[in-house]
Amino acid sequence: MSLRPSLLLYVARRLLQAVPLVFVIILINFFLIHAAPGDPVDFLVGTMEATPEYLEGLRREFGLDQPLPVQLWRYVSKIAVLDMGYSLRFRQPVFELIMSRLPATLLLMGTALVVSSIVGILLGVAAARRPHTATDHAATFVALAGYSMPVFWLGQLLLIAFSLHLNWFPTQGMYDLRAPSDGWGRIVDVAHHLVLPALTYSVYHLALVYRLMRVKMQETLALDYVTTARAKGVPERRVVYVHALRNAVLPIVTVIGLNFGFMLAGSVLTETVFAWPGMGRLLYEGIQGRDYPVLMGLFTCLSVMVILVNIITDVVYAVIDPRVVYR
Amino acid sequence: MQTSRGPFRPFRLLATLALALAAATFGLGTATAQPSKRGGTLIVGVEGEPGSLTAHLATDTAAMMVAYNLFNGLIGLDEKLDPTPDLAEKWSVSPDGKVYTFELAKNAKWHDGKPVTADDAEYSFNEIIAKVHPRAGSWWPNVASAKATGPHTFVITLKAPYAPFLTLVASVLSSGTLVLPKHIYMGTDPKTNPANQKPIGSGPFKFAKWERGSFIELSRNDDYFKAGKPYLDRLVFKIMPDASARLLAFERGEVDFLHWYIVPYDQVAKLRKDARFQLIEKGDAAATNGLLLMNHRNQYLKDVRVRRAIAYAVDRNDIVKKALFGEAKVAKSHVGSGLAWIYTDKFDYAFDPARANQLLDEAGFKRGADGKRFALRIHWASGRDYEGRAAEIIKDNLRAVGIDVTVLVLDRPSFIDKVFRNWDFDLANQLFTTGPDPSISVTPRYHTNQIKKAPFVNGMGYTNPEVDKLFDAEFTEVDRTKRAAMWRAIQQHLMADLPALPLFEVPPIHAASAKYRDIVTGSQGYIESRENAYMVR
Repeated sequence: MSLRPSLLLYVARRLLQAVPLVFVIILINFFLIHAAPGDPVDFLVGTMEATPEYLEGLRREFGLDQPLPVQLWRYVSKIAVLDMGYSLRFRQPVFELIMSRLPATLLLMGTALVVSSIVGILLGVAAARRPHTATDHAATFVALAGYSMPVFWLGQLLLIAFSLHLNWFPTQGMYDLRAPSDGWGRIVDVAHHLVLPALTYSVYHLALVYRLMRVKMQETLALDYVTTARAKGVPERRVVYVHALRNAVLPIVTVIGLNFGFMLAGSVLTETVFAWPGMGRLLYEGIQGRDYPVLMGLFTCLSVMVILVNIITDVVYAVIDPRVVYR
Repeated sequence: MQTSRGPFRPFRLLATLALALAAATFGLGTATAQPSKRGGTLIVGVEGEPGSLTAHLATDTAAMMVAYNLFNGLIGLDEKLDPTPDLAEKWSVSPDGKVYTFELAKNAKWHDGKPVTADDAEYSFNEIIAKVHPRAGSWWPNVASAKATGPHTFVITLKAPYAPFLTLVASVLSSGTLVLPKHIYMGTDPKTNPANQKPIGSGPFKFAKWERGSFIELSRNDDYFKAGKPYLDRLVFKIMPDASARLLAFERGEVDFLHWYIVPYDQVAKLRKDARFQLIEKGDAAATNGLLLMNHRNQYLKDVRVRRAIAYAVDRNDIVKKALFGEAKVAKSHVGSGLAWIYTDKFDYAFDPARANQLLDEAGFKRGADGKRFALRIHWASGRDYEGRAAEIIKDNLRAVGIDVTVLVLDRPSFIDKVFRNWDFDLANQLFTTGPDPSISVTPRYHTNQIKKAPFVNGMGYTNPEVDKLFDAEFTEVDRTKRAAMWRAIQQHLMADLPALPLFEVPPIHAASAKYRDIVTGSQGYIESRENAYMVR
């Protein structure tokens, strides 16, 4: 399938439109973050006394003594040249910090998103073909439970069951620190650590995709063209997986794209429970320490990612559905 | 019997051989008992990612736990809070209490092979600790000069006698005084020097790897100046932010050591019964107390009778039993009982609600028709759930004497903002350290000149000129007996005036795998160097 020139133009325009959007987001984030009570300097100084002169010195060094509009102007003029500044706590460039955490989050989220989307679609199709059977009802029950279960609680339950009692999976982090491994061993090690957090991460998304797929597939299977296909003698598997699925899956693509944002937000909890070294944890620690540059950097990165995923979703839509016209 | 011997002979032979082999192995084992302490990995759980791996930038405990293994202080602190050798093999104090001379070990080397000299100490104290460390402002002004007078002789001269000085230098958590390499830091900004993330130290372990958000790995320093030490091959700090998951990981053996304030007190009894684990109940030089701060600007709390009524009304035994699962002790003074040389419990209050009611009546706050006298708020900061449980018990206790209490919880930065920066509170739960020397940890909480809008100082607005006079005099008193008498007088005043009600002494209970020994040997328990720790085989 080749991309049409109109599509490329469309992508270019969407990217251009995204620039002012990102700036508005930065503006809102800036004021939200600074509206929270508390002070990064208090966190740095810790639980014992420091002299007021020292505190003032730190504040000056970080530019926190300036009025908010001045701080905002400084930030915006830096971010315009893609400089995210220095973390107050780590005294390292924010960009480096985020990049060091990005791969872990992408690995966890990518695995969860791919697995839960595929499994959700397949289960949805299966349920739609045999609606209102006992299996369907059971699947619906499990999906609803998965949809409404808080991530941190589910994570704990999985840990107690599969780590503590069954002893199948490790509980924390990405690597076995007692027996470090290289090459293939390391990949297997990471995969072993990935199972539980990815499972925790997937459940909500899986339930959502499954429910939606089931409904869409049922609707599609009742349409006239499907009846026609069956009447022509097309094998049932082909009817379902080629004729019907292609149409039924369209709204799912939108939901997967939209869900990306929610999953990024959910990463804070999953990564904390499983000590997964990703961006969600960096965000959590940033909030705890009121590390303004890190928070601003993360929010900006996340916003850009969500915007990009939205554009990608629209493009995928066009590839799957040739009727979509971009203007 | 003789006839039956035949067929068993080969087995006998085998058994004898096996026995001989075992004896040989065993013999070998005992002959080299010392080296058998060597080897193994200790995995330490930490609750958050440290900001850097050095001690001079902040007061971040996670950073300190790592840094103390990479660097050395001049001296350390033993369990009785007395100084012990570290980089300095010996030291002396002049009779007037002003000149401190430290003789540094001559064989100490930086991890890059360069020798550690008094120049490094001079540079670290003058150029880094004095200028960058958050706490330096509280004690450095007492120092007249810090100089290297020989390649291994380092002399600190004070402006006037300052009793807590040695304890401060020994207590890294209080003063940040780990010695840094001059050749790495000179001519750079010590705040952003890349060595803060990949340190070159003199300590028992060398920096190996920092996998962001995941773990920090150190490896044995084979050239360490203390012969034979350390015993472990690797020391790994694993970052584990979630309290329950951390404990699961500990139970599964994924980590070997959890320091005291990340071991939940409700789990201690269970761990104590489990032979796979050991609880190490020592090592908080800071002698931390949980207190109920009382805002003296409040229209009711400004009356000392109301504050005393609260002291009589609060059932602190119940707080220890239910909020800390019986693992703590009731705090009976503003100084922790760990500071045995000055501590006194003579001025404590007994649980006596009748007395509380009587005092409140005397103060003129009679019960209304609904049985209530007045209302107060109690704030606590999320993170230590026992503080929340204590707040609920206090609420019930105070309701019983007619004070209506609302419990409010905030995240820590917001709590600090509200209580210490805006003084917008009535009662608040807060932990205060009281050691290793009370001058540096008790005085700043209650001195009139510490009524500042800053964290962890006198946010209560308490003032008593007599106490101030004692505070101002005691730290210049070099005679320990006289100084102790002054501190007992201070405790008497504080218990009578009640700027805050001491509730409980936070017990340091570290959890460790039973496979290790000597993980904690000094009074700085959770941050101290693991150079003495070894694995039992």
